[in-house]
This record gives sequence, C-alpha cells and structure tokens, in this order.
Amino acid sequence: MSWKAVSNPILSIAKAFAVLLLVIWSLGPIYWAFATSVTPSNEIISKSLRLWPAHATLEHYAKLLGAASTAHGNEVQSVWPQFRAAMINSIVTSGLATIVTVAIAAFGAYAFVRLRFPGRNILFALVVATMAIPAYTVMIPLYRLMISLNLIDTYLGITLIYVSAFLPLALWLMRTVYEAMPLSLEEAAWLDGAGRLYTLVAIVLPLAAPGLIAAAILTFLNAWGQFIVPLVFSPTLASKSLTVLIPEFATRSNIDYGLMNAAGILAIIPPVALVIFLNRYLVSGLMAGAQK
Amino acid sequence: MATLKFEGLKKRYGAVEVLHDINLDVADGELISLVGASGCGKSTLLRMVAGLEDISGGQLILNDRVINDVAPKSRDIAMVFQNYALYPHKTVAENMGFSLKLRSVPRAEIDTAVRRAADLLGLTPYLDRYPKALSGGQRQRVAMGRAIVREPEVFLFDEPLSNLDATLRVQMRSEIRALQMRLGTTSLYVTHDQLEAMTMSDRIVVLNGGWIEQVGTPVEIYDTPRNIFVAQFIGSPKMNLIEGVVTSEGVMVGDTLLPIAAPRAAGTPLIVGIRPEHLSLGVEGPGALPMVLEALEMTGAETHVYGTIAGAQGIMTHAGRLSGAPGDKLWLTNPSEIYHLFDKETGLRLD
Repeated sequence: MSWKAVSNPILSIAKAFAVLLLVIWSLGPIYWAFATSVTPSNEIISKSLRLWPAHATLEHYAKLLGAASTAHGNEVQSVWPQFRAAMINSIVTSGLATIVTVAIAAFGAYAFVRLRFPGRNILFALVVATMAIPAYTVMIPLYRLMISLNLIDTYLGITLIYVSAFLPLALWLMRTVYEAMPLSLEEAAWLDGAGRLYTLVAIVLPLAAPGLIAAAILTFLNAWGQFIVPLVFSPTLASKSLTVLIPEFATRSNIDYGLMNAAGILAIIPPVALVIFLNRYLVSGLMAGAQK
Repeated sequence: MATLKFEGLKKRYGAVEVLHDINLDVADGELISLVGASGCGKSTLLRMVAGLEDISGGQLILNDRVINDVAPKSRDIAMVFQNYALYPHKTVAENMGFSLKLRSVPRAEIDTAVRRAADLLGLTPYLDRYPKALSGGQRQRVAMGRAIVREPEVFLFDEPLSNLDATLRVQMRSEIRALQMRLGTTSLYVTHDQLEAMTMSDRIVVLNGGWIEQVGTPVEIYDTPRNIFVAQFIGSPKMNLIEGVVTSEGVMVGDTLLPIAAPRAAGTPLIVGIRPEHLSLGVEGPGALPMVLEALEMTGAETHVYGTIAGAQGIMTHAGRLSGAPGDKLWLTNPSEIYHLFDKETGLRLD
C-alpha cells in the first residue's frame, strides 16, 4: 500500500468540502440565474428568498422567444427579433475572431519557434507585452481609428479588435506547444521530401491539435464574454452582441430580472456546446509513439 | 550508385569552429561509422550531410555534384533518427510510404514498395498499427523501413540503436548490416558505441574534438591505432598505456625491460600501449610486469583484473575465473609480444 492510499477521514471530509465549495462557487450563479428565469415576475421581487420558485413559469422564455407575450396582464412586444440578431452577432463575431486568431497563431507561432530571423525574441516579447495594456487606454484612439476606417458597427471592425486583443495569448500558447514538439519529426519529413509548409500542415498541425483547440476555446470564450468592445463599437443591432443587449432589458422604469436571466441562460448555450464539441478532440497523448 | 566526398568540410557556430577540415571519400555501397565521444562533432557531420545543418566551409560532393546548398528534401538522402521520429498520427504503412506519396508515386506502387520493405523487416503484421502500439524494436524497424522504402542514394544513421536494450541492440546490429549489404546503399553510421562500429563497418572514422583522428578498417584501427586517443577509444576494456624509456636492449617500463625494438634513440621517453587481452598471468622473470591488484570484475567468460601495472592504472582480461584480494601482487607477461608505441609528446604512433 502506498502512502497515498492511507485514508485519513478528516482529510477526506476536508477535501470533499473543498470540492463542494468550488462547485457551488462556480455553478451557484448559473443555478441562480436559471431559477430566476423560471420565477414569475411578482415572485422575483417578493421578500422571501426561495431556492426554487413556488410557481415555476416559462413566461420569460416565451417573452424572449415568442412573437408576443403577456406581462402583468398586458400584451407586450416580444424581444425575440433583437435577441436573435444579437445572438447571431455574438456567434459571428466570436466565431470569426476565433478562426482568424487560431489560424494566425498556428502559423505565426511556428515562425517564432522554428524560423531564425533578427529581432525574433524582441518581436515576440513586444507582441506578448501588448496583453499588459489595459483595454480602456486604447479605447479612444481605437474608436477614432475605427471611425476613419468606417468600421464602426461592422463585423469586420469587431473581429479585427478581438483578433488583435486575443492573438498574443493564442500565439504564446501555440509557441509553447511547438517548442515542446521534437524537431526531429519535422526533419524526418524534410528528408522524406516535404517542404516547410507541407511539413507544417501535414505533420506539425495535426500533432498540435490539442493546442489549437485550447487556443480556439480560450479565444471564443474571451470574445463571447466581451462587453466593453461591443458596447463602444456596436451601437446598433447591426453588430451588437448579447452581452450588450441583455443589460438593456433593464430600462429606466423597470428592471426585467426574469427576462435578463432567461436571456443569460440561453446565452450560455453556444459556448458550452462549443466546448463540449471541441473537448472530444482535446485528447492528450497525441505524440505517443513518435519517439523511442 | 552513390559516392560521397567531403572536401575540407568545416562547421562553425558563431566564432566557434566545431568541425575542422574534414576530408573523406565514401565509396559506393560502403558503410562508414563515425565514432567519437559525445561532442566530437559526429552527429553534426551527419546532419550536414542530411542538409539539416549549414556547411560553414569546404565542399560536400554527392556523385560529383556539390550539394552544399541543396535543400534536404532534394538530396535524396534518408536518415534514421536516434529517437526514430515516427509520425505518431500515421500508421506504419503511412509512415513508410510518406516519402513516396510526396513524390506522387501511384498508390499501387507505394503499396508494393511498402509491402516489400515490411516483408524485409518483418513488419507486415503491423502495417495498420500506429507507432504507439509498437515496441521499441518495432519502432526502430519502422524507422528503418521509412528509410529503405524509397531507395535513396545514401542512408544516414544517427545512433539508431542507442534506445534499445542490449539483446535487441546486438540483434538489430547484424540485421541493419545485413540489410545494408543486401541493398548495397552507401551509408554513414554515427555511434558512440565502438563495438557497433567495429562489427558493422567497412571503415571507421574516429573523431575527436572536431578533427578526424583516424580512418581505417576495423582491423586497421584496432591493430594500428594512429595515436593515443584512437588506441584508448577503440577496444573494450581500454588499452593500457604505460610510460617507458628506450634503452639499447628494449624499452624499460618501471623495473621491467620489455623486448621491443623501438625506432627511437636510447633515453627517449615514450608510451607503451598493451591491449588487456594480450596480457596473461605469469611468473616473476624477464619481461614480466608487476601488477598490484585493486579489483576483479567477473563478466562470465572472462575476468577483468584492475590494478596498477608498473605504476600506471591498468587492466588485464583473464580468460576464465580468477580469485584474489586487493593488494595482491601478480606478474603479467605478454606472450603475443604485441606492443603499441606512442610518442610521449605528440601521442602519435611510432612505427
């Protein structure tokens, strides 16, 4: 029996407690949003705190997804068209940003690792250093730049900003992945008659897949959760994202908690679906068998 | 048909020159081993032939054509890497056929070539497996298969057996040699294992500190090492080196007069080299060297006897068993009368 297997009841209980705490910490807010989203409006603002509503309802989802709905006995206009537009905007901008970022990182990081060129390390340090610049310091100059380029409230404008913001992290991650790969695999491919680009595409990238997927997930989640950038650069539903639309459900006279939480729960679905889908390819041990 | 010629090859990293003026002719079909301690430049030299390292000076000539600046992919040279470098996401068949696929060889021809190579290497049952499902020896064979399948001009081997266990190493040693002779492909073989070099090579190149110390057949290298470095590097256990002085009757080593006709004037100090297996137990008398026993190593067939021989650290191999305790005094004779004489200053062989 190894020393690890010796069970200490107090330690086990402490561990279980710590795990429980962590689960509550991360899932608690999501549960709360979900519970709120199925709570009737009058119950939401009641004084008594309940973990689950007495009369669960889908009225908020109906208001969000239906053509029209009733609230407080009045017929109200559905927010579905706005919600749908913002959902599409979020998916398009996050998706584009992810594809472009990962593509550039895949090739750029390879160049930083394998190609010798003067200023290589300084250039890389500069790229990574841009991560330290707070977004709000560049917001105004960036806004002026975007105006002069006519890119305000366009997919292209938002995507470009996301790419420039998230590329350094993806580059950094991919550089680490490439650095860990044995050069001899590429050398073997060169001697087999492959050129540099073909080697990168046929040998290196398939083996770097876990890194690429991790970079994709990180970029997508980062872009999906962006608030400041779309708030500033997406004034209309032409490119406005969910993160900006949902808080707008709070008007001067009324904060529609139920609607906001229902929208929030739906907004979680695309990133969760993406992570679950990509997770299948995030297998470790791809390199097994390459060497001795 | 491929001949390889090194003309004054040099390799520099910045201001540091790691290979100096390497000259060598490799004949068609020949297997030449490059041996030396780690850091002697043998792998660098091999990688220069592959095109994986730039050549800083001199000329590398393949079949009368200078290939200094030819890209690796256009050299038609195959290499077996120390760590095998198999493509982990490709099957054995795909690994072996990759180079042919890149040359746009038709599928049917690739299949035939891969099957033939797999047959030769006993890999047929494993063609659809991925490298991770293979043992070390099988991976080594796949690496070989990848090299032979396209029938290159030259094979390069970079310590291909160093990751295998001892039994497999001995087996693969003869397999590789047999295969190479059968295919008749000109080959360079880098190893730090002098036994591999001795058993497999047509000729051996001994490298030290970026210089070629000696080029010759295994027998030449073993029997007439050109200097002290080669003498000690080739042969296991190492050759004994004992200081001596030339006299009119022979060479005086400690208090023992060895009957050697030294090509030097009396009074000249020199170094006498004696292979451990040429020494045998004897009795005190003319020409017998005193040895103070330090340790015994029984290898099975023979016993390695360590101690001081005429004052110098030395070793003899005794065929059979021997018992003794540290401090015991033995007398060693050299019935073969094979001695190697080296200049004390330059370390060069005196003949």
